[in-house]
Amino acid sequence: MSALLDIEDLRVTFGGTAAVRGISLTVEKGETHCLVGESGCGKSVTSLAVMGLLAKGGKRDAARLSFAGDDIRDYNEAQMSRLRGDRMAMIFQEPMTSLNPAYTVGSQMTEVLRRHRGTPRAQAVDRAVELLTRVGITAPGLRLGQFPHQLSGGLRQRVMIAMALMCDPELLIADEPTTALDVTVQAQILRLLAELQKDLGLGILLITHDLGIVARVADRVSVMYAGEVVESAPTAELFRAPRHPYTRGLLSCVPVPGKVKRDEPLGSIPGVVPRIPPGFTGCAFRDRCSFAEAACAGTLPRRNVGPAHEMLCVLPEGVPA
Amino acid sequence: MSTPAIEVRGLRREFRASQGLFAPPRRVIAVDDVSFSVPAGSVLGVVGESGCGKTTLARMILGLMEPSAGEVLVDGKRLDGMDRRARARLIQPVFQDPFSSLNPRRRVRDIIAMPLVAQGNVTTLEIDRRVAESLERVGLSTEQGTRFPSQLSGGQRQRVAIARALVLRPRIVVCDEPTSALDVSVQAQILNLLAELRRDLGLTYLFISHNLAVVEHVASEVAVMYLGRIVERRESEALFRDPRHPYTRALLDSVLTPEPGLGVPDVGLGDIMPDPANIPPGCRFHPRGPACFAPCAATAPRITSLEDGLVECHLAG
Repeated sequence: MSALLDIEDLRVTFGGTAAVRGISLTVEKGETHCLVGESGCGKSVTSLAVMGLLAKGGKRDAARLSFAGDDIRDYNEAQMSRLRGDRMAMIFQEPMTSLNPAYTVGSQMTEVLRRHRGTPRAQAVDRAVELLTRVGITAPGLRLGQFPHQLSGGLRQRVMIAMALMCDPELLIADEPTTALDVTVQAQILRLLAELQKDLGLGILLITHDLGIVARVADRVSVMYAGEVVESAPTAELFRAPRHPYTRGLLSCVPVPGKVKRDEPLGSIPGVVPRIPPGFTGCAFRDRCSFAEAACAGTLPRRNVGPAHEMLCVLPEGVPA
Repeated sequence: MSTPAIEVRGLRREFRASQGLFAPPRRVIAVDDVSFSVPAGSVLGVVGESGCGKTTLARMILGLMEPSAGEVLVDGKRLDGMDRRARARLIQPVFQDPFSSLNPRRRVRDIIAMPLVAQGNVTTLEIDRRVAESLERVGLSTEQGTRFPSQLSGGQRQRVAIARALVLRPRIVVCDEPTSALDVSVQAQILNLLAELRRDLGLTYLFISHNLAVVEHVASEVAVMYLGRIVERRESEALFRDPRHPYTRALLDSVLTPEPGLGVPDVGLGDIMPDPANIPPGCRFHPRGPACFAPCAATAPRITSLEDGLVECHLAG
């Protein structure tokens, strides 16, 4: 059986800048695949490219881009917009900017169903109430009549999730869904997503910079750096045995309560994320890598270093444990 | 005992929030009777959810906002009535967003020189020397000093903000979410830099953050704020090992450490969000407290002193 979302060698360019440089990944039904990386690594552009929502000037190219078995590479705008919000839904980081401030929660939620399914208003309202209840909002009737600014950040994000679920999507793309929220609310929202996934069999592509979130919710992780997936593995495997120097560096940067002593320096990666000029070859991380050697400027091998564990690096076994 | 670097006594700040043309304004109590002192050379971490008053507290301590009641002593001197220039020599801020806290039309070295220029009695030669010294301290090159903020990365900009804070050689630095806008690898660089500067220059930090893992790493003592009050203040190690207030426990539980297989914790706080314009009677935390009992809703808890700090909760007595 084919994967719900299957991406192979996806490339995105803006003018002369390569934002995504050949990434491959799959999301199975009921699976959470996390795309993790720092700002500018191309993780959000990847999700926008899948949804066909690239900004003007963005060009997408892929060897394969299929959703539920259908090749969506050549879908036109009308076909994509039938898919978006229906079988493929998305939630963004800042619910204040992705909800329309001029319309009530109710009218935005029901619009989804009325547009995609032509559902009558009364029925759409029932569905909205049902979903608001499902995402843990008390007094859903009241919320439907309110405007986004009248809701707290956590409530707005719940509304976004409920809205994304209106048409029973098969795939949910969540781009930093809890980054703007307090930690306590973040935990609630992530629990909610996990619960919904279990009940509805959703496939989730979760984009985040937070390794804590990755560890707790992902089934599989792809680590992105400068437009490429440098390492990909099942979550437990990746955290147990990170092989790529960048993954290793990233993990050492995170302060873990009780693990790193106070006043002892945290691990850090020197330098900054580079801009990748057109025609760049070799490893984009080599200027910051303490294992860099001459071969890093050449073509990199992508190899298996463990069960379902892939890495893009010249080191045959990766960083020694 | 030596004079504490920061001492705050009964600090309170109210705002009036307009509710429309004809409705009477609401009273919002952002900071409510907060007292603490920070010994010189140590780091007090302040944590809490958005809207708990931590930034208002920082602004009052920096002298950027008048308290409604109470007083702030910095290095033993009362802040109200202190000359702005004298205050700037004692205490300096580092803010969250290095994109909006630096003037985009000034070169980095002019941004860093600004506090010195504002003092009015420093020679150009001395300014140049001190700016060069500050740049070097934070790991920026002379060449980077001639650039504009837009030509620098987020981490480099935060280094500029730190250099500007240090140029007057203050005793105290108030860091308000200094790494929240940065990537983790850059965050680690900035945290390491701040730790190094504190050791080398004997600085005292008030370190505000919503990220408990970061606070645990840098703070010697931690104050947990909830709706304007400090509900628990303990030595850092003790707080993380054995939190006494249920809110502190919930905050700690909600930290997602990068340990796979543990899942997402149920923090058990329910769906009620704290609203500083509508503070519940009794213990202000009781509507969210998983183990609250009758007295919690009826009377406000008193401060209980512990060996290593204090806590404000009926259940912790």
